Amino acid sequence: MIKFEQVSKTYPGGFQALNQVNFHVEPGEMAFLTGHSGAGKSTLLRLIGMMERPTTGRVLINGHDLRKITRKQIPYVRRDIGMIFQDHRLLMDKTVLDNVALPLLIEGYSMQEARKRVQAALEKVGLGDKLRHYPMMLSGGEQQRVGIARAVVNKPPLLLADEPTGNLDPKLSMEIIKLFEDFNKVGVSVLIATHDLGLIARMRYRTLTLKEGRMINDGLQESEL
Amino acid sequence: MSLLFRSRQSGAQQVKISAVRRLLMFFVHHLQQAVASLGELVRYPLASLMTMAVLGLSLTLPATLYVVAKNTESVGAKWQSAAEITLFLRTDLSEQEVATFRKRIALSAEIEQVEWRDKAAGLAEFRESSGFGEALDALPDNPLPDVLIVTPVASKQNSASAQALLQRLLNEREVAEARLDLDWLERLQALLNLVRDGFLGLAVLLCTAVVLIVGNTIRLNINSKRDEIMVMKLVGATDAYIQRPFLYTGIWYGVVGGVIAWLATALLLWWIEGAVIEVTELYASQFYLAGLSFAEMLVVWGLAVGLGLVGSYLAVKKHVASIEPR
Repeated sequence: MIKFEQVSKTYPGGFQALNQVNFHVEPGEMAFLTGHSGAGKSTLLRLIGMMERPTTGRVLINGHDLRKITRKQIPYVRRDIGMIFQDHRLLMDKTVLDNVALPLLIEGYSMQEARKRVQAALEKVGLGDKLRHYPMMLSGGEQQRVGIARAVVNKPPLLLADEPTGNLDPKLSMEIIKLFEDFNKVGVSVLIATHDLGLIARMRYRTLTLKEGRMINDGLQESEL
Repeated sequence: MSLLFRSRQSGAQQVKISAVRRLLMFFVHHLQQAVASLGELVRYPLASLMTMAVLGLSLTLPATLYVVAKNTESVGAKWQSAAEITLFLRTDLSEQEVATFRKRIALSAEIEQVEWRDKAAGLAEFRESSGFGEALDALPDNPLPDVLIVTPVASKQNSASAQALLQRLLNEREVAEARLDLDWLERLQALLNLVRDGFLGLAVLLCTAVVLIVGNTIRLNINSKRDEIMVMKLVGATDAYIQRPFLYTGIWYGVVGGVIAWLATALLLWWIEGAVIEVTELYASQFYLAGLSFAEMLVVWGLAVGLGLVGSYLAVKKHVASIEPR
């Protein structure tokens, strides 16, 4: 589903964020991406979401080389990828309904049609009764779940999450990860970047570890099982 | 439309929207975004009105100048048609010959009226007005010719026909010289051209200013919505989708600005009408100051909307594309 071939990323100024990274996440797989701050986790996700282009190497999604995607096509790529952020990136002056409906409206749904799907997505994350609320009125965990609802509302085959549990306590974090597991069970590929090693230790998923831009571990961390 | 996942269109649980539906929704969305942009403007009425007023008032000056030029031209056309030909007859003609010639040309179908100013009367008048009285007395005889003032019939009063008539009269034996007094008409025409060119130059400058002002206002709008635009890009919005509300904002600026231009032009014309009538009364002519016609109002409106759209288009082209999600 996601394939990196010898990918390096050097930022203007000379900082090398990724160095010769190779890995392959299979369709329907769920994997964690870990490493210290600055190890290149965010850069790796940004390359998949096409917010950056690699300096060298190839990134493939579902067999399609992202180098062949033009600037104009990037929005259509992003519609296939649900992205979740640590700071959830909600629009604070819009209701939960409007926030979650945004990807659908962009694709050309009417609000009427979008509403049903928004309702379903919010039910899924346990916020079915918060349609009319503004993000400010919700707790941090709830805001993060609104972000997840927005990412899955158009049923993308691929979910990326950048530190989705960064601001949450362990119990809430576990709930969020459980949500990702639910999506994974219906066939969505999931890649979660986190430095919460305790959280990963409790799960039996493949873990990709980055250190100073290099992939130093690509598989289950047996020692931590 | 999925670039990466061909099967997404047909899968059981997948997104499905028919092509017709998409097209229909495209227009519905346009309408919704137009209304939403209007709503946004109404939320900040003072700021929006100021931009609209700048647009409208900037168009008022060229519109008013245009109306003034148009009216002057209609007046010029009226005067131009009242062409008169002045014939200076040879000085060696006897009075009998002059009278015969006068009667002969008065019979011509092209000529409405012939007025005779005999040389004795001409001399008396000149003596009175010039102050050369004694110098004239020293002359052995009257140096002035008899003068005939010929008015062509109405259908021959345009410039070309009058010129042709002038040529024909010049060929008459009795005529020494003939003049169609077009000099002052040419001067008026030159003045009109000056006004028109000035009006064009000014209009171009003001329109450029309007485009820049609208562009800057839209740029500020875009910057204040930076975060929102970033989020929209993250969830897959195309530049075109993000631009649309801003373009509609520009259009609304033009729609309201155009109406402001109408009102301000009408007001300005009403204001100067009194002065214009005073001037024309001195020339003892009936005059009516024509305002903008319906078609011209539409042109002003279209221009206002066009300028609003161009201004906002320049702003979104440059600034929406430059906002990239981080």
